[in-house]
Amino acid sequence: MTDLQTSRREFLRQCACVAGGVGFASTFGSFQLASAAVGPGDSFNDYRALVCVFLFGGNDSFNMFVPTGTAAYQAYADARQNLAVPTSSLLGVTPLGQSEPYGFHSDCAPLHRMFNSGQLAVVSNVGTLLAPTTRAQYQARSVPLPPRLFSHNDQQALWQTLQANSQVKNGWAGRVADRFSQVIPSAQQQFATNISLSGTNLFQTGASSSPYGVSSGGVPVLRGLRASNTREAARRAVFEGLLTDANLASRHPFLREFSQVQRRARDQAETIGTALDALTPLTTTFPSSRLGDQLQMVSRLIAIRSTLNVRRQIFFVGMGGFDTHGDQARRQPQLLGDLSQALEAFNLATTELGLNDQIVTFTNSDFGRTLTSNGDGSDHGWGGHALVMGGSVVGQRLYGTFPSLEIGGPDDTRGGRLIPTTSADQYGATIARWFGMADADLNAAFPNLSNFTTRNLGFMTP
Amino acid sequence: MTKNVISEPAKPQEAESSELAPAALARNAGVVVATGLSAAGCGGGGSGGGGGGPSNGVAIPTQPAAPAVTDDSEAARFLVQASFGPTDEEITNVARNGYDAWLAEQYSHPVTHQTDRTSGRASEERIEAWWYGAIQGPDQLRQRVAFALSQIFVVSEVDLSGQERNVGLASYYDMLAEGAFGTYRDLLKQVTLHPIMGEYLSMVRNEKPDAARNIRPDENYAREVMQLFSIGLVELALDGSVRNAGQGGIPTYTQENIEGLAHVFTGWNYAGSPSWRSSHRNYIDPMEPNEDFHDTATKIIVGGVTIPDGGTAEVDLDLALEALERHPNVAPFMSEQLIKRLVTSNPTRAYVQRVAQIWLSDERGVRGNLASVTRAILLDPEAREGHRTGGTSFGKLREPLLRQTALWRAMGARSASGRYPFSRPERDFAQAPLRAPSVFNFYRPDFQQPGDLSTAQLDSPEFAILTESVIVATTNRLYTNVFSNHSDASNRGADTVLLQLEPAKAFAADPTALVGYLDRILMAGQMSAVMRTSLVNYLIPISDADGGTDRVLEALYLIVSSPEFALQR
Repeated sequence: MTDLQTSRREFLRQCACVAGGVGFASTFGSFQLASAAVGPGDSFNDYRALVCVFLFGGNDSFNMFVPTGTAAYQAYADARQNLAVPTSSLLGVTPLGQSEPYGFHSDCAPLHRMFNSGQLAVVSNVGTLLAPTTRAQYQARSVPLPPRLFSHNDQQALWQTLQANSQVKNGWAGRVADRFSQVIPSAQQQFATNISLSGTNLFQTGASSSPYGVSSGGVPVLRGLRASNTREAARRAVFEGLLTDANLASRHPFLREFSQVQRRARDQAETIGTALDALTPLTTTFPSSRLGDQLQMVSRLIAIRSTLNVRRQIFFVGMGGFDTHGDQARRQPQLLGDLSQALEAFNLATTELGLNDQIVTFTNSDFGRTLTSNGDGSDHGWGGHALVMGGSVVGQRLYGTFPSLEIGGPDDTRGGRLIPTTSADQYGATIARWFGMADADLNAAFPNLSNFTTRNLGFMTP
Repeated sequence: MTKNVISEPAKPQEAESSELAPAALARNAGVVVATGLSAAGCGGGGSGGGGGGPSNGVAIPTQPAAPAVTDDSEAARFLVQASFGPTDEEITNVARNGYDAWLAEQYSHPVTHQTDRTSGRASEERIEAWWYGAIQGPDQLRQRVAFALSQIFVVSEVDLSGQERNVGLASYYDMLAEGAFGTYRDLLKQVTLHPIMGEYLSMVRNEKPDAARNIRPDENYAREVMQLFSIGLVELALDGSVRNAGQGGIPTYTQENIEGLAHVFTGWNYAGSPSWRSSHRNYIDPMEPNEDFHDTATKIIVGGVTIPDGGTAEVDLDLALEALERHPNVAPFMSEQLIKRLVTSNPTRAYVQRVAQIWLSDERGVRGNLASVTRAILLDPEAREGHRTGGTSFGKLREPLLRQTALWRAMGARSASGRYPFSRPERDFAQAPLRAPSVFNFYRPDFQQPGDLSTAQLDSPEFAILTESVIVATTNRLYTNVFSNHSDASNRGADTVLLQLEPAKAFAADPTALVGYLDRILMAGQMSAVMRTSLVNYLIPISDADGGTDRVLEALYLIVSSPEFALQR
C-alpha cells in the first residue's frame, strides 16, 4: 500500500531526526517544510486547550449511548441480553440531522443536558484502524490490522501513539507539541505544552518533549531548602550541587535523568505552586471523584495560564475501572455517573473562566466492549463511542457511521466485537486541526490518516 | 574496610515452622538435603491444592559454586539486591560467611505472614504488616522476592473494594511469600485459584457457555494469565530476545486460544459456597469447582494443545496450566522480569539466557525452581560485577518504596509500639503493595523514559512513576522521616517510627568517617568522590556539640534524596 509506506517513511524520517538535546523548544527537522503553512489557530495570540480524558479498561459505550428506534433497539437488546439497558431508563435525544432517535444511559443526565444544549457530540464506533476495514477484509486479513487487538496496554498505547510498528514510541499530543515548539514563538509558549494529571503517558511523549506531571492535589514544593533560612540555604547548595551535570555528565544516564526530573520539579513547582496559591478559587463545584479532582486541577492550571505564559495546552487525565468483565450491572452506573458529573462540572468551569469556546474535552478508551455478555459482564471489544465536549464542538449531533449492533452482522468480527467505522486517527486529526495544526502537518502527526478519505469529521467549528 | 573471608562453616538454623531445615550446611558444598521438591517439579503429581497451606522445604541450590565475597561493599551491594536494604549486621554476616551461607539461612527462616498481623479487616493493617515484614522480617530474600512476584502476578486493592477483602489480599501476599522458593508450576496454580485473583480477573463464577442467554465465558483471566503471568505476547528466544522482531514478532496466542482457555477456567466458586449464586464469600481458601458450571467440551488452547472433552474443572485446569508452564517462553519471560525487579533494568541477553537455563533445569533437573532461579540471578557475574564491567547500561532506579525501606533498615527504625503506621505510601511514593492502578503494575518492564533514555533504547520501568509531583512528594517524605522522626527528637508518639541514630553518631566527630559509615550501609561504598567531598565540607562547619545528631541528620537527608542513592548498581 503506497500510502501506508509513504506515511511510514515520513514517520521514520522524523524518528531519525531526534537530536541529542532534550528541551521544550528544541528543533525538529521534518516539519520544516510547513513552517509557513500553519492552521486555523495560526495567530497563536489566542489560547486553546485540549483535555484528553482516558477511560482506562475499555468503556462499555454501547450502553452509554443506545439507539432507541424500534428495530435498532431490538437488535441491541437481542445482542446484549442481560447487559441491555431497558428503554424506560434511557434519556432520549434526537441528534440534529438524524432520523433515528437515541438515548443516553440513565446515569448520564449531565451528558444528556450538554448534548441538548449543543455542548456535546457523540462520535460513534471509533477505534484503532490502520486502514478502512470491512468484515470480509478483517476475516481475510487482506488489509493491515492493528497489532494485538483486544489487549489493554497495546490498545491504550495504540490509541495514544497511533503507531502500529515503531521502535521509537511517541504520541500524537507529543508530536503536536513538537510541531508547536517550532511555530509558536517561544516568548508565547514558556511552559510545557503537555501537562499530565495521570502520570507519564505515551500520548504526550514527543520526540523532543515530554509532559509535565502534576497531581490533582497540586504541586508541592521541596521542604527544607528555603533561601531565607541560613541552614536551609547551605543545605540547598549541597542538594543542588548533587543535581548538577558537572557531577553526573560522564556517569550513568539514569543519574542524569533522575536529576533532570528533580530539577524540573523544583523549578516548575515554585512557579506553579505560587501561582496556584494566589488564585481565587472558582465557584464551580466539582464532584469529589478521582476524575473530578483531576479536572478541577486542570481548571486551576488553565486559570493561571498567563503566569505560565502559554497559548496552547494539552491536558491528560485518566479514569480507571472500565474493564467490566464482571458485575457490570452494578459497576457501570457508578462509572458513567462519575464520568458524566465530572465532565459537566469541567464544562461549567470553562464557562466560568470565559474560555468555553477555547477548550475541547474528548474521551479515549482502550476499546469498546463485546455486545455479548459473559454472564455478568462484557469482554474486550474494538469500536466504541466517544464523546467530544466544549463550546466549539458542533454539538447535539452524532458523527461517524453508527454500526449495526446485530451479532454476526456486517460490523461484527465475532461475539459482538465491532469493527470501528471511524479511526482514532481521523478522530484525533479533527481535534488537532481545530487546535491549530495545519492540514499539511497532520499526516506526520497522525500516521494512518492518509489511508482514510475523510480527514475532517466535521464536529469542530472551523 | 576490606575483610578477608573467614573460613568457617555456617551454623545450621533451627526451623520454627513446618518448613524443613537442611540438616547440615557447608559453604559452597554440593551436599544438601533434598526435601521432595523435585518430585513436585518434574511435571507429574504437582503439590496439588491451592494456596494458603504450608510450603515445602526448600531444596538448597548450590551449583554453580558461588563467588567469594571480597569486602563489605560487595556484601552491601548484594544485600541491596537481595533484601529491603543492608544493615550493619547483615553486611557482616554476608562478608564473613559468604553468599551461599546467607542464602541457606534465608531459605530456612520461617515465613513472615501478613495474615498474622491482619486480625481485623482494615486495609491499613495489611500495609503495616508489609512494612513490618520488609523492615524487620528475618526472611528478607523471601519477602523481597514476594514483593517482586506481587508486581508480576498483580492483584490490586484498587479494584477490590470492601474491608473483608483485605484479609484476602494479605493471604494472597502470604501465598506469594510461601511460594517464593517453590516451583513456578505450584505458584501458578495457587495464584489461579486464589479467590482474590478470582475476583480481580473475574474467574470466580465464570460459567460455561449459554447460547440461549448469549453468554460466553469470561476471557479476562485467560488473557492475562498468558499475557502477564506466563508467556507474554510474542515468541522469545531463550535469551529473551523477540523472534522476528523486525516484522513485529510472532504472537504466542490468538483470540481463539483465549476463548479456549476461557472455557477451561469455568466452574470455579468461592470455597464452601452452598450454591452457584449464593451470597457466600471466602477470600482466603482456594476456589472450589462446581462441575454443573464447568464446560466439558473439547478446548483448543495455546500451542495447539487440546484439552479433551469430559474433563472436570480441576483436570482441565491442571492440563492448561501445565501447557502454559511448559511453553518455551516462560523461562526467559519470567527470568527477565525477576532480574529487572532485583538487579538491573537492562540485562544483557547472555545474562537472561544463563538464568533462563537454570529455570529450564536446575542442578536437580527441576523446572521453574524459584529458589534456584533467584540464586542464579543474584550470583550471576553480571549481578556481582556489573557495576565494574557493565558500563552505563547496568543498574536500575530504586523503587521509591525501597528507598524508604533502605533508610529504615540501615538506621534500625522502630516505633515504641512496634507499629509501622504508614498505610498510604502511594501518596508519597506512587507505590503500595497490592495497590497497583491496574493488572499492568505500577510500570511496564519495558517502559523507556522519554528523552535520553528512550533514544538510547534503555528500559527504565521505575521512571514511569517518577513524575515531577511524585519526586517532590517522595523527597519531602524522606525529609520528614529524617528530620522529624528519629531517636533524639522530642515529643514523638509511641507509634512514630524513629531512626536509631546512636550507631551513626559514634562517627559524627569526624565528618569523613561519618560519611564513610553512611556510604557503607546506604550506598554500598559506591558514593562518588565528588559527592563525598561535598557532604564532608558541608558537615565540617556544623557543630557536633549535640553529640552529632545534627550532622547525622543532615548527611542522611542529603544522601537519601540524592541521585546517586536513587540509582542501584
